[in-house]
Amino acid sequence: MLIKRKTGSARSSALQAVSAGLSSGTLDRRSFLKKSGLAAGGLAAFGAASVGTIRKAEAGPMKPGVPVVTRKNICTHCSVGCSVIGEMQNGVWVGQEPAWDSPINRGSHCAKGAAVRELVHGDRRLKYPMKLVNGEWTRITWDQAVSEIGDKMMEIRNKSGADSVFLLGSAKMSNEGAYLYRKFAAFWGTNSVDHQARICHSTTVAGVANTWGYGAQTNSYNDIRNSKTMIIMGGNPAEAHPVSLQHVLTGKEINRANLIVIDPRMTRTAAHATDYVRIRPGTDIPVIWGMLWHIFQNGWEDKKFIEQRVFGMDEVRKEVAKWTPEEVERVTGVPGEQLKRVAETFAKQKPSTLIWCMGATQKTVGTANVRAYCTLLLATGNVGAQGTGANIFRGHCNVQGATDMGLDVANLPLYYGLVEGAWRHWSRVWEVDYNWLQARFDEVPAKAGRPARTRKQNMELPGITTTRWFDAVLMPADQVDQRDNIKGMVVFGHGGNTVTRMPEVQKGLERLELLVVADPHPTTFAALAKRKEGTYLLPICTQFETDGSRTASNRSIQWGEKFVEPIFESKDDYEAIYMLATKLGFADTMFKNIKVEKNRPVPEDILREINRGGWSTGYTGQSPERLKAHMANQGDFDLVTLRAAKGPNAGDYYGLPWPCWGKPEIRHPGTHILYNTNLNVRDGGGAFRPRFGVEYQGKTLLAEGSYSAGSDLTDGYPEFTFGIFKKLGWDADLTADELATINRVGGANVDAVSWANDLSGGIQRVCLMHGVVPFGNGKARAIAWNLPDPVPIHREPIYSPRTELIAKYPALPDGRQLRMPNIGATIQKTAVEKGFAKEFPIILTSGRLVEYEGGGEETRSNRWLAELQQDMFVEINPADAAERGIKEGGWVWVTGPEYGSKARVKALVTERVGRGVAFMPFHFAGWFQGVDQRSNYPKGTDPIVLGESVNTVTTYGYDPVTGMQETKVTLCQIKAA
Amino acid sequence: MRIIASLKTALAAFALVLTLAVASPVSAQQSIQGVNPTAQAVKEQDLLRQLDAVSGRVSIPDQKSGLLIQPQGREWRQFHNTTMFWVGAIAVLGMIALLVVFYMTRGKIMIDGGFSGRTILRFNVFERFVHWLTAGCFIILALSGLNVTFGKSLLLPLIGHEAFTNVSVIAKYAHNFLAFPFMAGIVFMFAVWVRDNIPEGGDLAWLKAGGGLLGHDHPPAKKFNGGQKLIFWSVILGGVALSISGVLLLFPFFATTIWDMQIAQIVHGLVGLILVAIMLAHAYIGSVGMEGAFDAMGSGEVDLNWAKEHHSLWVKEEEAKKASMPKGMVAAE
Amino acid sequence: MARVKFLCDADRCIECNACVTACKNENEVPWGINRRRVVTINDGKPGERSVSMACMHCTDAPCAAVCPVDCFLTTADGVVVHNKDLCIGCGYCFYACPFGAPQYPKVGNFGSRGKMDKCTYCAGGPEADLTLAEYSKYGANRLAEGKLPICAEMCSTKSLLAGDGEIIAQIYKERVLKRGYGSGAWGWQTAYRETVAI
Repeated sequence: MLIKRKTGSARSSALQAVSAGLSSGTLDRRSFLKKSGLAAGGLAAFGAASVGTIRKAEAGPMKPGVPVVTRKNICTHCSVGCSVIGEMQNGVWVGQEPAWDSPINRGSHCAKGAAVRELVHGDRRLKYPMKLVNGEWTRITWDQAVSEIGDKMMEIRNKSGADSVFLLGSAKMSNEGAYLYRKFAAFWGTNSVDHQARICHSTTVAGVANTWGYGAQTNSYNDIRNSKTMIIMGGNPAEAHPVSLQHVLTGKEINRANLIVIDPRMTRTAAHATDYVRIRPGTDIPVIWGMLWHIFQNGWEDKKFIEQRVFGMDEVRKEVAKWTPEEVERVTGVPGEQLKRVAETFAKQKPSTLIWCMGATQKTVGTANVRAYCTLLLATGNVGAQGTGANIFRGHCNVQGATDMGLDVANLPLYYGLVEGAWRHWSRVWEVDYNWLQARFDEVPAKAGRPARTRKQNMELPGITTTRWFDAVLMPADQVDQRDNIKGMVVFGHGGNTVTRMPEVQKGLERLELLVVADPHPTTFAALAKRKEGTYLLPICTQFETDGSRTASNRSIQWGEKFVEPIFESKDDYEAIYMLATKLGFADTMFKNIKVEKNRPVPEDILREINRGGWSTGYTGQSPERLKAHMANQGDFDLVTLRAAKGPNAGDYYGLPWPCWGKPEIRHPGTHILYNTNLNVRDGGGAFRPRFGVEYQGKTLLAEGSYSAGSDLTDGYPEFTFGIFKKLGWDADLTADELATINRVGGANVDAVSWANDLSGGIQRVCLMHGVVPFGNGKARAIAWNLPDPVPIHREPIYSPRTELIAKYPALPDGRQLRMPNIGATIQKTAVEKGFAKEFPIILTSGRLVEYEGGGEETRSNRWLAELQQDMFVEINPADAAERGIKEGGWVWVTGPEYGSKARVKALVTERVGRGVAFMPFHFAGWFQGVDQRSNYPKGTDPIVLGESVNTVTTYGYDPVTGMQETKVTLCQIKAA
Repeated sequence: MRIIASLKTALAAFALVLTLAVASPVSAQQSIQGVNPTAQAVKEQDLLRQLDAVSGRVSIPDQKSGLLIQPQGREWRQFHNTTMFWVGAIAVLGMIALLVVFYMTRGKIMIDGGFSGRTILRFNVFERFVHWLTAGCFIILALSGLNVTFGKSLLLPLIGHEAFTNVSVIAKYAHNFLAFPFMAGIVFMFAVWVRDNIPEGGDLAWLKAGGGLLGHDHPPAKKFNGGQKLIFWSVILGGVALSISGVLLLFPFFATTIWDMQIAQIVHGLVGLILVAIMLAHAYIGSVGMEGAFDAMGSGEVDLNWAKEHHSLWVKEEEAKKASMPKGMVAAE
Repeated sequence: MARVKFLCDADRCIECNACVTACKNENEVPWGINRRRVVTINDGKPGERSVSMACMHCTDAPCAAVCPVDCFLTTADGVVVHNKDLCIGCGYCFYACPFGAPQYPKVGNFGSRGKMDKCTYCAGGPEADLTLAEYSKYGANRLAEGKLPICAEMCSTKSLLAGDGEIIAQIYKERVLKRGYGSGAWGWQTAYRETVAI
């Protein structure tokens, strides 16, 4: 017999397979066949001439007999934070194994996570630094690249000012990398430093922080298992966060929970819903107010919760009263009965959670949307307890961390803002002279009727956002509220096709004097425009080739170990930033307290510096040692509570989700669920953060009769300062060392030293002793008086198909925000006058595919992923397709109302979208308006799959608070190509 | 069996399309409202009852992979392993048995008048080339074809797996490549002989008389008698069927679904086997079965007596042609 | 004796394709060969379900029955494996397979197929266990290492189950009882002539 007979004796019991861990109720992940005892049978070898190999032998992973090293890192794609186990042989990553112990993913991955090994195979990676010489890509050395880039930056600085170099960072950086980049921007002297959060959850961060204190997911993926009702509104986690569905679907099963999906598309998530609500894109606020209308009408709200912990709900009631079921149906298309059912379920079958993503945020009214969502949670008392909360699924692997680290035009690291106190705090942490920092910033002359700014004023003014950088390049200089236009751009880890209005992006790229792309891939930035000179590509390695921490969406911080050395000539972010800082002459100051080994700053040391300054957000307890201990003992953490019952981390929550108060030595366990009054602060309890004063219009902003378990203070209280400590007599609890530090920090005004800038950590330590929350115990705000529309009101999208509604629900008036004009109202008016709704009758919305991520350069270069989605497409309803003679799989032109934009894509005829709605994924680039730009990439670095970017046809529209772009609602026409 | 199943599928699909078409105008935006997608989940058993198969959407370009479950594969297997196996075995072995019995009882059919010593040109070089091109290809195609059906039972036990695979690989390539000259041969054959193979009244009489195979009376026949015409049309029609089904199989899924492929394979197999059986008879009668017959495709010149006995009308025609020719001219060749 | 099977719980499957890329990664499956795929039925309509499908390692496997060169065999665990040294790429197994599992690299002229490739249940092939020869022809042999197929191990929602047929049927049954719905053990009737009774 030619075939080896696999005798099964040794293995029969082995396949007593899959454990109870897979059944819906029991949760024993460890027994998932991990040690099933499958023994390798001693099987007769059979050697025949190999007639039919289909693979090259050297591609194989495990080479027999070579020692295998196993290390743990975190998936570099979405924010769920799945652990990845790599198997290395001879310094090559040869295999990937399920990480069973991780309480987040329990061995699971999505298509991307299961394919990350390819990233380090790197067939299409950028292999060495390159620059454009007369339009040709030319190989150069790192030293030459850094030297030329530095010279050019200085030239721009001398000519136009520091603000003329736009710094774009990345949610793909580790916390340490993001922090360094933010610090680099501060030392360079600009606040125009941004990253992907701008175009993903900036409106969430703003909306949520303005409601109850912090801009982050309040609970966790795991905690969703406790929910009885989940609404997913404006999100498709089945594709964007697949592993989160493990928790969502298990929760749905074990609790027989309601899973309600509210979305314009019948998504892969909606397929598993118990109720699917289809809405017209851009009508989120009417839907929420429509639900609240039923809730208030029937008295289903949580009156006690509102009374104790919410400010201004009465104002909301007035607005909600306008949204009768009839009006809601007229505007949104949702039948009143269905919405009533959803509202009743959400309010009564508690705990309920609201999950949202880009569908809520990427809107001209994104911040208002988010605040409306929060208001619904507050009205039903669904915040601050197990199974409740705003479960905001963030996008990239470290978008939460990069946001925390201040890759944001309006913040220094950890949400200190840009006020003088913030700069002084960080200059103390960095041990650098505040005045030196201030001198790094531009003086801005008076322009176009706007007053001049001093260096200090400019230092405290938010910068230009990534959604508008090209406008800041192209617009007349007097329109851009800084010394000069943007002239140069340094991009670390960011795609070029991620912002709307790509025809303008292309022009902006052509106008730039300097373009630096530091990335594993050349990205669309390198290929979109025909640049001739002044363009540099720096090969940066992935997070699998370096180490550092990253913060998952649920605020858990996970330490990733370097699997292999950076491949080819790539370097990690730390080293690249250090080289640039060295060239620009401030490395010694910037890395004063950070050890640098062979040109590479040590990430552990960077994290320690973050720990020393991150008081405001509780980023102080997560020392590298604690994080590493968590990664090494993942199996000790409970799947649902995320708390370790045993082992070296007993009592800790997994990944020390921030806030993790005080110094690492006091071992605060982290905070699994924010604002949770059911627990002692020492156990991760909390309260809403009184961030906006103690009273407003004569009414208190502090909680009334609500406080966290075990608190010494049994009512609301403001944030803690040394002054308040003295009044309470708690200053006596501070040690002499702590007092000395407080005195040093406070100087003449020692009473003002607070929990957020006390570098000794004493105030936080003593707060924990007394069971009080360092930031205070306040009310959440249902009205945000500091924002446009203090109570969110519906505003039709800039490009709305329902022109008859615009008079009643117009866009916000034109204004200036974030150094740029925002003329949304004018554009909305013009669109109506020009009758665009007739010419472009289909609503175009955009979103994610499971196989790709973000701009997609990395994932479209991954052969295992690229094979699964080989063509850019537009989803179109069968009725719309039939009217236009469009066939499944046929080529179509999608045209947009601005710049005569057009995109050639394939038609996917499906009922996922309703009639009059089309959907395009946003991961594609490399084709522009029908032209294949493959030849623009440096040879061998072009992604396998190219396609039109949806943003070629997306249009104007910016959130007034954060500059978020409108990618979810615009108009288009589709015709067969 | 299979055909019926596929017809059923087609009808069911058609019915579904009709209901969809009726439903769609109302659907779109509104009808999807207020649904519980979980409660409405499609169930495998329902789909199988409706359509005999389950298919859906895939994102990869290989659209045939959208067919999730096709239980029909089982029917094809049944056909291939049982029906075709036995049909083929009976046809081929049956024909051989028949021929043996015929040879035993009838013996070799001799020229009644003996060899005359004079010959007449029956097939020119081109005709003979076409014949042998087609025949040669057919023999190899048939053997390699029989190998995939019967080799596992007959040859494999004799020579073992490895050798059998080597044989089968060669057979597969031979089958794939010789298909083309074979198809060319079919085309040429048709062009050269179709004129003489149009069925006419005399053929019926010839067939009624058993073609003189059973008795000793030779019914009159033109260039081709009724039996030869049957052979001709079996080869042409069978050849075309084999060609079409074969080409479809040669370019898998180029313009076919799995079901088309299954049907193509069924057609190819059955027609091939039957043609093999027919060709066995043809070969028999053209060689050992009949004195003087082989010369027609051998040298091309047949004995005049043989020709008169089997193709009396054709001989007359030829002689008439010769007579009407001007002097000095000889018939071609 | 354990008899291994796959079971895709379509009420958990979200078409994330982790099973597909995990398979590619583990076995270095080349472009164009899809040992596993996810098919979405009723796409975009209420009731939509996705099912991950690969070789189901059938009882009385049709591929083996129709193979003209007899290159298949079923291991003691119930895994249907084949010998690429014997396969002639005739395509018969594809006609017979109810699940579209056999894949063929395009080689040579016309539609001429190379040696068939399919899911091995991460059990390698007829070569000696855990050798380079085995890997290069068939991919990983996780079973020999005491592990289950990578597709099931990495499934994002624990939808795809692998292991002893009786145990995974039991798990599925428990799930259905707990949650109150289930669209069936897809393919079981066809592959094993049995279904999971609920």
